[in-house]
Amino acid sequence: MYQTRKTYIKEQMKLADLLFENPYLMLMMQHFGINYVVQDRSVGQVCQENHINKEVFIAFGNLYNGFQELDEKRFSFSDMHSIISFLKNSHQYYKEEKYPEIKNLIDEIARINNTPEIMMIARFFDEYFQEVLEHLAYEDEVAFPFFMELDKNKRKGKEAKEYSAQVYKDHHTDIETKIMELKKLLLKHIPLKEDKTLRRRLIISLFELEYDLTIHYAIEENLLIPLIENLEE
Amino acid sequence: MSECNIHIAIIEPSHLIHEGLSHILLKGNPHCRILRFEHLDELKEYRHKECLEVIIVNPTIIMGDPGALGSVKKQFKKAQWVALVTTVFSESLLNLFDARLQITDNPGSINRTIARLTEENCICTDDSPGEELSEREKQVLIELVHGLSNKEIADKLHISTHTVISHRKNISQKAGIKSLSGLTIYAITQKIISMKDIQSGI
Repeated sequence: MYQTRKTYIKEQMKLADLLFENPYLMLMMQHFGINYVVQDRSVGQVCQENHINKEVFIAFGNLYNGFQELDEKRFSFSDMHSIISFLKNSHQYYKEEKYPEIKNLIDEIARINNTPEIMMIARFFDEYFQEVLEHLAYEDEVAFPFFMELDKNKRKGKEAKEYSAQVYKDHHTDIETKIMELKKLLLKHIPLKEDKTLRRRLIISLFELEYDLTIHYAIEENLLIPLIENLEE
Repeated sequence: MSECNIHIAIIEPSHLIHEGLSHILLKGNPHCRILRFEHLDELKEYRHKECLEVIIVNPTIIMGDPGALGSVKKQFKKAQWVALVTTVFSESLLNLFDARLQITDNPGSINRTIARLTEENCICTDDSPGEELSEREKQVLIELVHGLSNKEIADKLHISTHTVISHRKNISQKAGIKSLSGLTIYAITQKIISMKDIQSGI
């Protein structure tokens, strides 16, 4: 899925044109917590109206458009709030929309293709979903609140040794691998029965989730962690 | 090569030249995919660097800083670099490239140049090793699925732990699956183990 080579986004471009080219930018805007019906306003205008740093918006947009552009030097700790709010909204999307959608599809498939392989897929996914929920809860409840306070703690001279970017890094496991395994099993190995249509919808949904997770992970690894490390130094 | 699904990047500031060249390339090979970049910087940020087989550059864009090309080239290990010679350039500048296209070349010769460059590493003839597991790998997989450790598998099959690890690596690579639960499902679909084995064994 993450194969798109689209327009390289710039400030003065009309956002609607970009949305027509890559509809997944709608999802990105939702992660930013903003409306995606923007009439003919430019990228810069939309950012300004919504009080979003346009550098952050453009950089993330270009990730969605297939460019590898995350130079942490262009961002500062003052962007932390919008970055974390973006990541938290993405979590919401995974937890409340995407994973339940996938789970429903697997359950539906299991009803009409009641083979041992599909039953095992259902179990595989349930276990994996639990892991993901724990991972997301950990970030929402432990890591992100700490990062938001980091600046304050630093100023107070309080060396918060109990937590650091390093701890976060060690905790930061990539949760895409099992999506890839599910795709492999469903698309390559497990024979189709009556589940042709449902299976296709499931696989496409997995591709979409993987696409968003890849970007999510890149933001955490290449932007969030370096920003915190810079502050800690 | 004419049926090859190759990726070509064109870095050319002029729309006119870009459109014309794209048209010629697509006529020569309808399966090629052409990407347009305005600057070298845009190319640097391109995510799928490994996909690009040919990068056609108008040397005017690097005239100010020929050294910049060297560092970008390192990021694209697979790509062949082609200079689009639109005017008179110094020989030292043109020597930075693997091949040249002259602005006066006819379509046939342009396509022949590109074909020659891509023939060697054409991905259409896939000579990667098969994905079928060897008998030994199947044995290792069966024991893995039954929950044995590397050491236990080594003892049972009379091989070294090191060999078990290397078999495991090959299994994961061939199946595209690393996790034990994923491998279990894989083993069933490949009929390497049966449901009965799992229910009784684990």
